[in-house]
Amino acid sequence: MSILAVLTEDLLVRVNSRIEDGADRRSWRLVCKEFLRVDSLTRKSLRVLRSEFIFSLLRRFPNVDALDLSACPRVDDGMLTLLLARGAASTTASLRWNLRSLNLSRATNGMSFKGLALIASACSQLEKLDVSYNCRLGDREAAAISGIEGLKELRLDKCLEVTDVGLVKIAVGCQKLEKLSLKWCMEISDLGVNLLSVKCWSLKFLDISYLKVTNESLCSIASLPKLEGLTMVGCPLVNDSGLEFLSRGHSLKEIDISRCEGVSSSGLVSLIRAHCNLMRIIAGYLPELSAALLDSLKLLKNLTTLIINGTQVSETVLQTISSNCKSLIEIGLSKCIGVTNVGILQLVSSHQKLKVLDLTCCGSVTDAAVCAVADSCSSLVRLKLEACYMVTEKGLERLASSCLLLEEVDLTDCSGINDSGLECLSRCSRLVSLKLGLCFTISDKGLSYIAANCSELCELDLYRCTGIGDETLAALSNGCKKLKKLNISYCIEITDRGMKSLGSLGELVDLEMRGLHNVTGVGLAAFAAMSKRLADLDLKHCENIDDSGFWALACYSHNLRQINLSNCNISDVTLCMVMGNLTRLQEAKLVHLANITVEGFELALRACCVRIKKVKMVSELRLLLSSEILEILHAKGCIIRWD
Amino acid sequence: MVHLIITRKGQVPSKPDEVLTQQQQQLITADLTSIIVQLISTAGTLLPSVKTIGQFGQFTPKPAAVSPEQQQQQQSNNSMDVEHNYSTTEEHEEHEDGETEHLPPGSYEILQLEKEEILAPHTHFCTICGKGFKRDANLRMHMRGHGDEYKTPAALAKPPTVKEVGSAAEPVIIKRYSCPFSGCKRNKDHKKFQPLKTILCVKNHYKRTHCDKSYVCSRCNTKKFSVMADLKTHEKHCGRDKWLCSCGTTFSRKDKLFGHIALFQGHTPAIPPDETKTVVALAPTDAAAAANKLADGSGLATMDFNSGAQALMDFKSVDDPAGAAAVASCFSPLNFDSCNFVGGFPEFNRQGFDDSEASFSFLLSGGSCNYSSQKTGGES
Repeated sequence: MSILAVLTEDLLVRVNSRIEDGADRRSWRLVCKEFLRVDSLTRKSLRVLRSEFIFSLLRRFPNVDALDLSACPRVDDGMLTLLLARGAASTTASLRWNLRSLNLSRATNGMSFKGLALIASACSQLEKLDVSYNCRLGDREAAAISGIEGLKELRLDKCLEVTDVGLVKIAVGCQKLEKLSLKWCMEISDLGVNLLSVKCWSLKFLDISYLKVTNESLCSIASLPKLEGLTMVGCPLVNDSGLEFLSRGHSLKEIDISRCEGVSSSGLVSLIRAHCNLMRIIAGYLPELSAALLDSLKLLKNLTTLIINGTQVSETVLQTISSNCKSLIEIGLSKCIGVTNVGILQLVSSHQKLKVLDLTCCGSVTDAAVCAVADSCSSLVRLKLEACYMVTEKGLERLASSCLLLEEVDLTDCSGINDSGLECLSRCSRLVSLKLGLCFTISDKGLSYIAANCSELCELDLYRCTGIGDETLAALSNGCKKLKKLNISYCIEITDRGMKSLGSLGELVDLEMRGLHNVTGVGLAAFAAMSKRLADLDLKHCENIDDSGFWALACYSHNLRQINLSNCNISDVTLCMVMGNLTRLQEAKLVHLANITVEGFELALRACCVRIKKVKMVSELRLLLSSEILEILHAKGCIIRWD
Repeated sequence: MVHLIITRKGQVPSKPDEVLTQQQQQLITADLTSIIVQLISTAGTLLPSVKTIGQFGQFTPKPAAVSPEQQQQQQSNNSMDVEHNYSTTEEHEEHEDGETEHLPPGSYEILQLEKEEILAPHTHFCTICGKGFKRDANLRMHMRGHGDEYKTPAALAKPPTVKEVGSAAEPVIIKRYSCPFSGCKRNKDHKKFQPLKTILCVKNHYKRTHCDKSYVCSRCNTKKFSVMADLKTHEKHCGRDKWLCSCGTTFSRKDKLFGHIALFQGHTPAIPPDETKTVVALAPTDAAAAANKLADGSGLATMDFNSGAQALMDFKSVDDPAGAAAVASCFSPLNFDSCNFVGGFPEFNRQGFDDSEASFSFLLSGGSCNYSSQKTGGES
């Protein structure tokens, strides 16, 4: 009997729409054909890992409207033509009509204005485009993008060759633009931003971080009638007068002025006084917090996020913040000087709804503060206590008993943490991310508690936790099936046995295992054979792994995208195999490979030159490698870093 | 001649009347027409002299200047005549009523050169051999070849210049020039006469205003000039405007372009069309080169590699609508569909055909047997 007799397709669709996790969706698809069909029809977004599967995937998911090609090794004009041109396969016809969001971030340099022009002409419904980190994207490409009339969101982060001319073309062509990011587009100047403000009246969010724009730009930006959020991190030429210009503008909701050297409290004060609806203020690294600034916080009734990293605070400051701001949900005091227990106590006492608290490098914080946080903020979701070395298991016990909603905890470098502390923490069964780097005093025992209880754990950082061994890995492979990212670098107790057990973590995508001297080729091969999803692998200084392990990688780890083989004992042929056979490999760090000859490097590079995007090698090789291979790599858009 | 014809007519009565009279009539008409032509030509030669008499009226009466004018009309030798002209004009002090801006009327001398003088390329002529020079200094140099008397410092020195703010030693005569073109504001007969300061000014003014523009700028092929110096000045700045708007207007500065775009709806900056694109075009050839190198490098399984590459190359040649930067990966989907690789093959093989250029999995093709033969030890 078919399940549709009991549950209509309509209901199935509704249930399916609430499933977000990738693993869960995969299990859904395996249930029965009806479930598979429902999933295929309702799927809206697609992240393609390899270009050769695009057509079959599109055939399966005809209703996709958001396509993410940023992980695809070779996205270039030819591929875009095949995908979008009029004469292309029928499967893509619906794509042309439906496509609303396209992600071409970090595509290779094979993508030029021709491909973008094709996108502009074919996809009339396109609203969101991300072409960030394409370093050679310039004004011609910007001109092609300006042909997308309905574009609402555009990311041009680090498109280094876009100048004011390209920006103005986009501003004139895409009149409906609402969100624009120009972070790191260093060629943009005041002229471009000025014209952007004149032409793009619908702009709501603008990111001009790190640009060399002056107060003139802020004067122009102030005239944008619908601006809600402005991000200007690290703009060196802007100062308080510029912020005063901004005060004249439309009521902002979000502002980020971190690391702007010329900005001080007075600029921020004038901004706050003019924009009473501010919800998020990110103002890291101000020289100091003046009394006027703290006083002005009273005016902001809707303030939910206040991040004032890297500045000088005191108990009175924290108290004033506490009394003036009533509705904070996120507080950031990372690397602030002068944070004490009393200050924290006063701060959190009035903020029961606090969800995110960042106390990174606030070394004076002890268990008393953690207890105070635990008592007041039971809704806490994210807590960062990196380098708070005085926190011990007492604080964690209180924390775990009241903050059961905790999802992210960062206890890196907290030398006071021990196994009993972890036992307490394991009560937070919703933990998704746990960072325990540089905690020398924890061992397998403590981790076993975590592994047993925190089944939702996706990210675990055990960097240099020398007390950790194979048992932890075994426990993790049993208990934390959703683990995606794991760092076991320099946990030298780990041997091949542990590596083998890691293989059963089916969701593992990112593994960093530097300096594991007790792991040999056997262990790595066992792991590689089972770990299908592995995309990022860091094996630096694993000097006892021999060729058998790397061969296994070359054979089995087809999803590998990034690899660090520095200081490993890999041979010529094996390196060539790894670079040649892993067709998804895009970034490789190949520094200090003692057994590889120059010819070996040549061959390996040629094997992967078509798709490799980033390579790191010793600088001596620059003179030894043939100019031909270097030219080929350069022509393909590969970036070579010389160590 | 007329008498001759009449006598001829009288002499021939005896011949048959009709034919001969016709011939005679034709002869007579021919003679008559030739006489008329000669009359006209002689009248034509006399015409210039009539012109000179007419132009005399424009000139301030200078009896000595008559003969130079006539000789100038013929344009044969303007040598000493022009010099004479200058010397004679300088000798006579002329007072002329005219309107000036800076100088009160009557305080300066007005000179007017003829059109031909203005347009003549050489204005200084050697009195001995008639060779023409553009500059007086060049003429003085030339005169050295005509005898020792011209090598003295006095002869080589510049003739004393006339300065406006003069010393009390000599009476300083201010000279201004008039344009010969009638109706021109620079003409002395014009109501609002504005004199020109030097002969060079006269020359430039006449050429710019009253002559057609014969020099064309080679860069923009649009701007025309009558004075060579103007053309050279233009060429210094021509083509420098690299800021171009979509409406076609060019600007010399970026902020001017942007100001223009801010004012108008729909204008965008235009990118000049002569940029080259080299990166993309290199890709296919480089890939092919890399592929060849690879095939040579690995002696192990060249056959397999070539067959794999061949299969893909065939598809590449058949389907190549994309043109630019066609790399193999984008053709592998087609490859899959037509080669029907989906079923039956182990996973290694499938991956192997993804890259035509660089996949060594042909070494692994055929499953684990190849793999274990390559490795010395270890597990599969």
